[in-house]
Amino acid sequence: MSAVRRHPLALVLALVITWLVGYPILVTALEALGLPAELTLVHFAEFARYGGEWQALWQSLWISALSVVFSALIGVPLAFIFERTEFPGRKVLGALIAMPVALPPLVGVIAFLFLYGESGFVSRGVQHLFGLAQPPWRLVGPGAILLVHAYSMYVYFYLFARASLSRLDASMLEAAASLGAGRWRTLWRVVMPILSPALIGAALLTFMTSLASFSAPYIFGGGFRVMTTQIVASKLNGETAMAQVETITLAAMALLGLWVMRRVDSGDTAVVGGVRGLAPSRRVLRSPAARLLATAAGWSLALFLLLPHLTLLLISFVPPGTWTVEAFPPILDGGNYVSLWSQPERLRPVLNSLWMATVATLGAVGLGLAAARQSIKAGGRLGRALETLIALPWALPGTVFAVALATTFAVHRPWVGRFVLVGTPWILPLAYMVRSLPVTGRSALAGSRQLDGSLEEAAASLGAGRWRRLVKVVFPMLRPAIFAGASLAFITALGDFVTSIVLYTFDTRPISIEILSSLRLQDTGIAAVYGVFLMVVSGTAFVVWGRDQRI
Amino acid sequence: MAPFITLDGLCKSFLGDHQVLNGVSLEVEDGEVLVLLGPSGSGKTTLLRLIAGFEVPDEGNILVSGKDITGQPPERRNIGMVFQHYALFPHLSVAENVAFGLHNRSLSGDEEAKRVAEVLELVDLAGYEERRVQQLSGGQQQRVALARALAPGPSLMLLDEPLSNLDPDLRERTRRQLRRAVKSIGISAVWVTHEQEEAFDVADRIALLNDGVLEQIGTAEQLYLEPRSSFVAGFVGRASSLTGELLADRRVRFGDERFVGRGVTWSVTVVGPREAGARVEVVFRPESLELSPADHPEALSARVESKHYVGDATFYNLILEQGGSLVVRGSLGQADSGDRAWVTLRNDGPSPRAFPAFTEEPI
Repeated sequence: MSAVRRHPLALVLALVITWLVGYPILVTALEALGLPAELTLVHFAEFARYGGEWQALWQSLWISALSVVFSALIGVPLAFIFERTEFPGRKVLGALIAMPVALPPLVGVIAFLFLYGESGFVSRGVQHLFGLAQPPWRLVGPGAILLVHAYSMYVYFYLFARASLSRLDASMLEAAASLGAGRWRTLWRVVMPILSPALIGAALLTFMTSLASFSAPYIFGGGFRVMTTQIVASKLNGETAMAQVETITLAAMALLGLWVMRRVDSGDTAVVGGVRGLAPSRRVLRSPAARLLATAAGWSLALFLLLPHLTLLLISFVPPGTWTVEAFPPILDGGNYVSLWSQPERLRPVLNSLWMATVATLGAVGLGLAAARQSIKAGGRLGRALETLIALPWALPGTVFAVALATTFAVHRPWVGRFVLVGTPWILPLAYMVRSLPVTGRSALAGSRQLDGSLEEAAASLGAGRWRRLVKVVFPMLRPAIFAGASLAFITALGDFVTSIVLYTFDTRPISIEILSSLRLQDTGIAAVYGVFLMVVSGTAFVVWGRDQRI
Repeated sequence: MAPFITLDGLCKSFLGDHQVLNGVSLEVEDGEVLVLLGPSGSGKTTLLRLIAGFEVPDEGNILVSGKDITGQPPERRNIGMVFQHYALFPHLSVAENVAFGLHNRSLSGDEEAKRVAEVLELVDLAGYEERRVQQLSGGQQQRVALARALAPGPSLMLLDEPLSNLDPDLRERTRRQLRRAVKSIGISAVWVTHEQEEAFDVADRIALLNDGVLEQIGTAEQLYLEPRSSFVAGFVGRASSLTGELLADRRVRFGDERFVGRGVTWSVTVVGPREAGARVEVVFRPESLELSPADHPEALSARVESKHYVGDATFYNLILEQGGSLVVRGSLGQADSGDRAWVTLRNDGPSPRAFPAFTEEPI
């Protein structure tokens, strides 16, 4: 209790974040159990009885498991190529192929649709080439979802494995060689075990991202339901209780994932011998043929990975109704961009997304920074509790949050902390803010931990008060960390689709919802313009973030 | 006895033109511990890595028992290595680390376990088999690294600054343990260090490298008492030097009567050119000199700049009246800072050595 008394601000923050993060989940769980009317398991029984629910659950699991496998198959070899060999263009390409992680999932999904979908470039090309009457394939069902997942989630394996490889001590490899181990034995017995925490981390992250994935199953799923789309379908059908049970089930799975992740995050590969040696030098390809081959392979791979986004850019220049049966759009002009800026109704979602993302980012930065600093100051159990609370929304799928917020903030019961926010312009910024709290909070935590405590003490000894210390010493030192967190938070909020689809109103509709309705109206050019906007803003923010992360 | 290892004219440069090793040739006898000593950047670690096979020489050959292994990959050389930061595999236990090199010895599980126990016993780590390497102290990790390198029965052991991560007092104990372990098996070892005391303590012979060139190879006594260059004399042990004019009969005159009223001549061991009249740099060990209580014809006049008490002796730093400085070993209380003093050459100390002088300062 003394810790609580000594750090009242930490306690207040813990309560506020609990109210925003934990409380809505609790309310949803209680309502799923029939409370406050009467305690009943009838909704859970219904969930258990209905085959479709089990199927969605099972499908979520195996899609996620396969997404891990395919992402690893792409990401790990890429990491080896880009970290262990040297060829022209390695640095630029190495950064470019990490880009998909920064793009809103919906942008990736529609880019895929325009490239590989029924009327996309590739299928039209194949259709023309072979003179087929019908498009050669339909981008629908689990295969399509897996394709999009592998395409966007390989980045986790790529980044994690690369980071781990770059920290590998060259003397480990030399030690193995001096003990008679050849290249394969060294790879399997030394390199892979040392990489394994990174790979397990990437696998869990991919699994959880895939479990929470909504855009790809929603657009490409067709009749194939996973838990996230099932929840939204139940909610839109007005089956509130069922949506709540599904939400709680998915939340439980995600929290289980988080728990496993924390267990696995062991110090297995901690440095032995006090000092870490140098990373092995990259293999420089000496033969001109090998260099040419590696360069060509690297560039075509990067082009292949970036092709969907280039397609999106191209489609944004196709005027409405001008591209019908041709293999390539016959007319390209800037009309879509003009109509976006000249028609207030089309500009509205852009402005909505911008102000909501800005407000959410400011809120998330403020709350995250305060919570991070208080967590470090308070330490002990209170500090750890604050840290866990900050990290929690990261593990919970967006759909879970959306339903939980919709449940909690749809009634006016101020004495139990519930207010009517659903239907007001404030529910979406609030949802975005809560979802962004982990990125702003964690980067503030990391930044604060690196901050030399004696700097603040030095300022205090020179007569600087608390506020002056914060403004003149702490903020300038933390600025890179704050900036990094803020840019990621802004990207997430700006392109959000999964919470928006549950919580938006017509007046507050964000870009993602407008993309969806443009697609429904066959207005692909406009949808692409919105996509390009998100892509450019996210790309810029990613570059800002990357400058501090040194990937 | 035929040399066990022969390094013949090894050259290595990095980044195109930075010459790290320049024609190094030396031999290591069977069962000998050879220390590669030298300042940072002298090329000793590169030389070790060439022997291990982690680097390929630009020129020259490496022979083991007369067989050329220059082009052989490290995993085929059967050479054990102890790394500066140990390079223990963090995901493996102590026993698994030690057994890592035994995989192609086609041993049964029992034989492997026996071999692991044997080498752990040798390094005083019996019973530590199941420990994680992170749980061990620095000295213990160091010994696991040695056991791992010894387990496959290498024909040669390489040690790359093996003690640099240990506390000073642990360092002394561990270096004796390491030497004992290597000697008890009777294999040859090449040991890299930049610390003279460590080199003197563990080496059968020392090869002193400077700027990619082998300055001298020999026993500790040879390096200390018979240095072949002023660099060797200056790097090994305490030394100070004066420039003088070589006379006939291996004598050198310091000072010049035209400027300071008189010259003093001392007898030295001459290394290199012997023409009378040549300028030479004469290197003195502190114990070759002594403080004289009063002026006499064979003494150089000086002022005591400072003194350094080290327990069994006191070293006096002297500024000579004629210019230059000398360090003299004496006893406590012989003089104080600021005192006038006279220096003479002892008859029973190591003979000062005269090398060709490159400086143009007045003699």
